[in-house]
Amino acid sequence: MTSPVAISAKNLIKRYGDLVAVDGIDFEISRGECFGFLGPNGAGKTSTMRMISCASPVAGGELFVGGMSVTAEPRAVKSILGVVSQADSLDPDLDVFQNLLAFTRYFNLPKKLATERIWEALDLVELRGKVSVTPDQLSGGMRRRLHIARAMLHEPGILVLDEPTTGLDPQSRHMVWERMMHLKTRGITILLTTHNMEEAAYLCDRLVVMDQGRILIQGSPRDLVREHAGERVVEVRVGMDRKAGLLESLEGTGLVFEDAGDSVSVFSENGDPRLDGGLLDDYEVVRRPANLEDVFLRLTGRGLRDE
Amino acid sequence: MIVQVVQRSVWWGGFRVWQRNRDAFLRSWKVEIGGIAVEPFIMLVAIGFGLGAFIQDVGDRPYAEFLAPGLIASYAMFHATFDSTYGAYLRMSTHNIYEAVLFTPLQPEDIVAGEVMWSATRAAVSGTAVLIVAVSFGLITSPFAILAIPAAYLIGFSVAAIAMILTATATTIGAMNNFFTLFVMPMFYVSGVFFPLDRLPEWVQNASWILPLTPAAALVRGLVEGDLTWWMAVWTLELLAIALIAHRIAAMLMRRRLVK
Repeated sequence: MTSPVAISAKNLIKRYGDLVAVDGIDFEISRGECFGFLGPNGAGKTSTMRMISCASPVAGGELFVGGMSVTAEPRAVKSILGVVSQADSLDPDLDVFQNLLAFTRYFNLPKKLATERIWEALDLVELRGKVSVTPDQLSGGMRRRLHIARAMLHEPGILVLDEPTTGLDPQSRHMVWERMMHLKTRGITILLTTHNMEEAAYLCDRLVVMDQGRILIQGSPRDLVREHAGERVVEVRVGMDRKAGLLESLEGTGLVFEDAGDSVSVFSENGDPRLDGGLLDDYEVVRRPANLEDVFLRLTGRGLRDE
Repeated sequence: MIVQVVQRSVWWGGFRVWQRNRDAFLRSWKVEIGGIAVEPFIMLVAIGFGLGAFIQDVGDRPYAEFLAPGLIASYAMFHATFDSTYGAYLRMSTHNIYEAVLFTPLQPEDIVAGEVMWSATRAAVSGTAVLIVAVSFGLITSPFAILAIPAAYLIGFSVAAIAMILTATATTIGAMNNFFTLFVMPMFYVSGVFFPLDRLPEWVQNASWILPLTPAAALVRGLVEGDLTWWMAVWTLELLAIALIAHRIAAMLMRRRLVK
């Protein structure tokens, strides 16, 4: 892996029968970067991750990981990847140490090196004290950390994390984020899917928003927010009886706004004069900086996605 | 170079999976000892000596002596199939272990190889346990009986490979029950374990030679009695052929199931 590109995809396609899960996407991820895949359920994020991890065959296009084709050299590709998938896959028949030991064997690490790496990984995720218990005695946050430790044993150049903090309490979530920031400083390339916009904004250098198998936008979180949601959002709480009137008066201003059910979001730059002059004086409003969630909802809509 | 070739083969990857199963077994064997040793012991006492007291000698040997090698082959079969059906299905479906292993350099073929090699090891352990019980009752005299242990491994390998075909295609754990009621148990009764095959109608006899337990029981019986014939080479080859063909099919089906 001497090229500056860690992963590149050209016109990448995934189909399940008639369903097109990934519909010809292109992206390029640099070494040492934290790259996020965002999108509603069924957008094609996990399918993309699975193709990168060689767990799912590529239906069309090209996909290179560390300069190697996932189709031609899956064993070699997998040897430089550390993967944490959504599903809990700790081994209940083994204790924590044995769980990790089994994985060092799959990567053919010699026993002595394996033992060193296991202790390092346990220290990394602060689980040294739990080495001889079985995974079912660990809390949800600890289990997630153990998954991360397990993915790090062979010192992968690329870490693939599919929703690593879903279902965790805030303390555990921050602990995982902090560990990930630490791994980033060690030069590891991180791929991340998430539904948590705060997580994406905090961790990702660049990200893509996907929907229905396509990439809608890509860029740094900050640029994307500026470009697609401006600087400030004014959320106007409004009942159904008054909403029509509000929408009508907003139409006249040329402001960008979005009907969000029981509220209307108005997007603007800081100090936009159009928001002065009493336009919103009669309404209950919340003013806040624009964020990634605004971008996400504007692009992918508010309809529910059931897979 | 040689090391690289070995490390790229499914048997090397399989060995890594085998090690995982061995570790798990060494944590739980105390719980499983009942199934491994106590049950064959009870079987041999109850059927071999209890029921056997009412049964005339088979050839020139008492019934218990006839039954013992059949039980070695049968328990090798049972414990290999338990592991490759219920055990493997749990690891695959409930505990997601196969998915996690596939994110390492191992491939589906390695997993199948490792599971089958482990089930065969279980079969050898169980076969050894029954052999020890039989020896302690004085039912075994030939030193060739020690070869019943590798024979049990081979038996375990071939039935586990067949079982993995089912595991790779099953959609619920309940599907395993059919495998036992429709395949394993009938085989147990018509493979010359409890009585010589010539008691059965001729078409059943012929059909039963295609099933793995019939050559398995005959092979172990020949070894335990020290009555070596060329037929034993044929039975060994038959088991080997079943093992390799079933293993290839299981590996192909497992890839189809896991890599989507």
